[in-house]
Amino acid sequence: MPLSPIITDWFAAKGWAPRAHQLSVLAAHQAGASALLIAPTGAGKTLAGFLPTLDDLIENPMSGLHTLYISPLKALAVDVARNLTNPIAEMGLGIKVETRTGDTPASRRQRQRFDPPHILLTTPEQLALLLSHADAARLFGSLRRVVLDELHALVTSKRGELLSLGMARLAQLAPGLRITALSATVARPDLLRDWIATPLPEAETQLLTASGGAAPDLSILKSEDRVPWSGHSAAYAVPALYEAIKQHRTTLLFVNTRSQAEMLFQNLWAHNEDNLAIALHHGSLSVEQRRKVESAMVAGRLQAVVCTSTLDLGIDWGDVDLVVQVGAPKGSSRMLQRIGRANHRLDEPSKALFVPANRFEVLECEAALIAVEEGKQDSEDPVSGGLDVLAQHVLGMACAAPVDPKALHAEIMRAWPYRELSWEQFARVIDFVSTGGYALRAYERYAKLRPMPDGRLRIAHPGIAQQYRLNVGTIIEEPMVKVRLVRARGQKSGATTGPIGRGGRMLGELEEYFIDQLVKGDTFIFGAEIVAYEGMHETEAYVSRSFSKDPKIPSYAGGKFPLSTYLADGVRKLISTPEDWKLLPDQVRDWLSLQRDVSVLPGRDDLLVETFQRGDQHYLVCYPFEGRLAHQTLGMLLTRRLERARAKPLGFVASDYSLAIWGVSDMSALIRTGRLSLNDLFDEDMLGDDLEAWLDESQLMRRTFRNCAIIAGLIERRHPGKEKTGRQVTVSSDIIYDVLYQHEPDHILIQATRRDAARGLLDIERLGQCLARIKRHIVHKPLDRISPLAVPVLLDIGKVPIFGEGRESAMADAADDLIREAMVRETTGQ
Amino acid sequence: MSEPARNRGVLPAEEETVLMRFAGQVFQPLPSGGLFWPAQNALLVADLHLEKLSSFARLGQMLPPYDTAMTLRRLAADIARTGAQTLIALGDSFHRDEGVATLLEADRARIEALNQQVDWIWLSGNHDPAPHALGGQCYGEIIIDGMTLTHEPRRGATGLLAGHLHPAARVVANGRTVRRPCFVHDNRLMILPAYGASTGSINILGPAFRGLLNWPSLEVAMIGKDRVYPVSPKRLAAG
Repeated sequence: MPLSPIITDWFAAKGWAPRAHQLSVLAAHQAGASALLIAPTGAGKTLAGFLPTLDDLIENPMSGLHTLYISPLKALAVDVARNLTNPIAEMGLGIKVETRTGDTPASRRQRQRFDPPHILLTTPEQLALLLSHADAARLFGSLRRVVLDELHALVTSKRGELLSLGMARLAQLAPGLRITALSATVARPDLLRDWIATPLPEAETQLLTASGGAAPDLSILKSEDRVPWSGHSAAYAVPALYEAIKQHRTTLLFVNTRSQAEMLFQNLWAHNEDNLAIALHHGSLSVEQRRKVESAMVAGRLQAVVCTSTLDLGIDWGDVDLVVQVGAPKGSSRMLQRIGRANHRLDEPSKALFVPANRFEVLECEAALIAVEEGKQDSEDPVSGGLDVLAQHVLGMACAAPVDPKALHAEIMRAWPYRELSWEQFARVIDFVSTGGYALRAYERYAKLRPMPDGRLRIAHPGIAQQYRLNVGTIIEEPMVKVRLVRARGQKSGATTGPIGRGGRMLGELEEYFIDQLVKGDTFIFGAEIVAYEGMHETEAYVSRSFSKDPKIPSYAGGKFPLSTYLADGVRKLISTPEDWKLLPDQVRDWLSLQRDVSVLPGRDDLLVETFQRGDQHYLVCYPFEGRLAHQTLGMLLTRRLERARAKPLGFVASDYSLAIWGVSDMSALIRTGRLSLNDLFDEDMLGDDLEAWLDESQLMRRTFRNCAIIAGLIERRHPGKEKTGRQVTVSSDIIYDVLYQHEPDHILIQATRRDAARGLLDIERLGQCLARIKRHIVHKPLDRISPLAVPVLLDIGKVPIFGEGRESAMADAADDLIREAMVRETTGQ
Repeated sequence: MSEPARNRGVLPAEEETVLMRFAGQVFQPLPSGGLFWPAQNALLVADLHLEKLSSFARLGQMLPPYDTAMTLRRLAADIARTGAQTLIALGDSFHRDEGVATLLEADRARIEALNQQVDWIWLSGNHDPAPHALGGQCYGEIIIDGMTLTHEPRRGATGLLAGHLHPAARVVANGRTVRRPCFVHDNRLMILPAYGASTGSINILGPAFRGLLNWPSLEVAMIGKDRVYPVSPKRLAAG
C-alpha cells in the first residue's frame, strides 16, 4: 500500500523524501506485522515510528486511543509530542496528541481516561497506572499500535520488566495490536525482537535495520604530560581539553561518576581564562539547575557541558560537534551511543575524543577505540523477570478487576522476561501479595486479595488500590540528604551542641549512605567546591567551606558501570600482544615492558597472581580484569578463605582491573611450601558456602533488599502527609531483611534480592564466569618487590574504601584504646 | 565466672567476659543486649518489643512475623548460658498491648517454656502499660537490693536501671566507623540497649539523652558480634 497522498505532499512541500527504513516500518504495519527498528541516533527514528499511525488515521479515521508511545524519559515524550504536533498541523489533520507523565495535572490525567487523544505519549509507570483502573479495557480496547522508544535502554532494567508485563496485558485488551519498537544498535537484536514478539505470538515480527551513518572520527588524547599511575581526575589532560573545547562549537564531556564530573568541572574553570560558558550536569544537582543547563544548551548558549550518564539518552541537542569521554570507556556500545550524541545528522561523522585518566585506562581506551571502529556491540542483554516487579503487577491487575489466577499466569507468560515463569513461583507471588507469603500463615485476617465464589481473587477493600497507586513503579530513589553550606563554628573540636551555624546555601543532595560514613571534619568535593562535613542537623547535612586542597573522602570512587566483558578481553589481548604496543604512548609501553622484565604479563586466558612483601606486610595482587564490583566480591570471598588458610589477611582494595589483598603471613612462602594452593583458593566453590556466609553479613544485600521490598509493596514509599524519613526506612528494612533472611531464606523477596545482587552490586554472575575461565590457568609469580602493574591498585589504598577484617575491628581498636588508658591510670597511680 | 587471658592484637574467636561495675554492684553485659546480675542470679532485658513486625499488618504492611521467635530464642539461649533463675523485662516487652493476643501458638509455647525455667518479672512500659496473664508477675517498678528497676530512665536517681531509650554508640577508629547498640551508665543510672530483634536505636550523643547522664563518669559498652566492647567515651561520634 502506498503512503497517503497527504503525507507524500507534505514531504514534497518540505523538499524531503521518506527514508527507506521509515517506509519499511510503514510496510510492516500495513502487512499486519510488528517491527523492531534498529537505527543509530539521528536516523529519524521518531518519524519512522509514527508514520504508520498518521497514515492509518488518515485512511481510517476513528475516535479513541490509536497509538500509545512509551519512552524511558519524560523529557523525550514531551519532545516527541512537539515534533509530532507540527507536521500534524501542517498536514491539516485532526489528530490529537497528548503527553501523560507525573507532571501532567491530575484533572487532565483524569480526563484522558474517558476522553483519550489519538496518540498518547507516556512512560512505563504511567502505563502501569492506567492498566490498574477498572476502565482500562475500554480505554485500550481501540488501541492499534504501541511505539516503544529507546527499548534497548529499558529492557536491561526493572522498568523494562514492568513494561513487558504491561505489554502482555495490552495484548490481551487489544488483540489486533501491533508493536513498533525503536532501538539503538545492540549486541543481540534477536533477543529484542523476541521481547516484542512474545506478547503477540500470532503476529509476525520483522527485524528492520537502518544503515549506519558516516564512520565516527575517533582519537585518543595525546598529552605531553605524564599519564598518572592511578586516579580518575584526568587533571593532567585539562589544558589540552580546554584547547579542544575552544576549537569546537559545542562539546559534551562525559564522565562516569559525579565526583569525576565535579572534579573536571572545577579543573576546567580553573583554566577558563576566556570565560567560556562551561556547565555541569549530573543527577545530584537540583532539577531546576539541570533544566537551566538543558535549555541553555538547546539555545546554543553553552560551549561545553560536563555530564554523567544523565545525558546518555534524551532529546536532540543538535549542535554538539565534539564528544569527549573522560576516564574509562567501560563498554563499546555505551561509547557508540555517547559518540552518537554529536552531530545528530547521519551523513556527518561524529567526532569523539577519549581521555584516559590513568595508565590502565590508556589500554582500555585503545581497546575501546578498536571496538568502536569495528562497530562491536557489547550492550547488556534484556533481563529475565524479577519476582518483586511481578508482585507489583499482580496487585495492579487485581486493582483493575478480579483476577483468575490461571488466566493471569498464562497472560504473564506472554511477557518475555517471564516467559518461563512456573505456576509454583507464580502461586507464591500471589500468596505474597495476599498475605506476605510467610511459611507461618499469620496474616489471613488482613489478606489483601480475597477469593470470590468463582475462584477469582479481588482486592479486600478500595484502600488497597490507593496504596498500590502510590507505590507503583520500579525506580527507587536512594534516600537522599539535603546538604547545606554553613559557616564552620570555631576551631574547637568535640561534641557539638545545637546548630553549627545558621542559614547558608543549599548545595544539593547526597545519598544517605555516603553521609552515614562521614565523621565531622571529613572533606569531600561537592557542588564544585571542597567542603568539610560538620554534622547532621535534623534532616540536613551541614558542611562548611574547607581550605584543604585535597579532599579526604573520594566521594563515589570508581564508576557505576562495570568494564564490559568484551573490552576486558580487548585489554587482556593488548597487554599480552607486545606487537600491538606500538599504538601506545611511550610511557605506557615502557610500563608494560618493565612488567614483562621484572614479572610476567597477564595472559589473555590465564590469571596472573603476584605475591610480594612490602614493609612489614605481604601482598597478593591478581589481575582478573572483570570490573570493580566482581573484584570486590572476589576480595571478600578470598579474604575469608585466606583467613581459614591462616594467611591472616588484613584488607583488600579492588579496581576495575585488579585486586590487591594484604596480610600478616608470607603468602609467597605459604604457596611455595604447598600450605596454600592457588587453585583451591580460586576454586569456583567459593560461590557456595563462603558466598552464603558473607551474604549473611553483607550490607550490600540489605541495600538491595530495600529496593525489592519497596517495589514488591512490602515497604511503602514515602508519601506526602505520611512522611517517614529515609533514615527510618533504611533502619527498618535492614531489620526486616535480617528477620526474613534468617527464617525464610527462600522467601520470594530474598530470591529477588539475590537475583539483583548477583547482577548488580555484587556481580556474582561475572565472577562466576571469570572463575570458570581461569580454572587451572593460574600463573603465580613470587616477587621480591612490587611489580609495575601492581602499582596503580596499591596507590588506591587510602583513597578508596578498604574492605575486610570486619567493622568489628573498629570497636576492638576503640576498646584497646580504653585499656591502654586504664593501664596508664594504673601505672601512674591515678 | 573467670576472666580469660586477653589475647591482644587478635580478634577473639570466642566470647570474652566484660564486667561493668555500677552503683557498687557487678553486672555482666551480654552481646545479646541482656544484662546478667550475678549477685541476684537475674537476667535483665529491656525493650523486647515482641510482636512489633506483626503489628504492621493491620496497617496493610505484612512484615515477616518472625521477630518474636528470634527474640524469644535469644532469651532462651541467654538463660541457658547464664543459668539465671529470674528474668526481668524492663518494659516495652510488647510493641503494643494487643501483641499479647496476636502471639503465634509456637511463640506462646516458647514463653510458657521459659516460664518453667525462670521467675519472669514483667515491668510495664509506655508501649505495654497493661498487665497480662502470660505467666510470671507484672509490676510497674521494683526495687531489688537497693537497685531500682524501671522502664523510663530519670535523672537524679541512684542505682536506677532502665531501658526505653534504645541507646547506641558510634565510634571511629583508624578511619572506620561502626554504630551499635550499647550499654551506658554514669554510676547512678544504667540504660540497657533494646533487646528485641526488631528494634532500632538512638545515639547516646543525641538530644534524647541530653541531661540524663553525667558525662565525666560515663562508661559505655558496645555490642559486637560475639562479645561486648567497652569503649572510651572520647571515641564517641554523633550520627
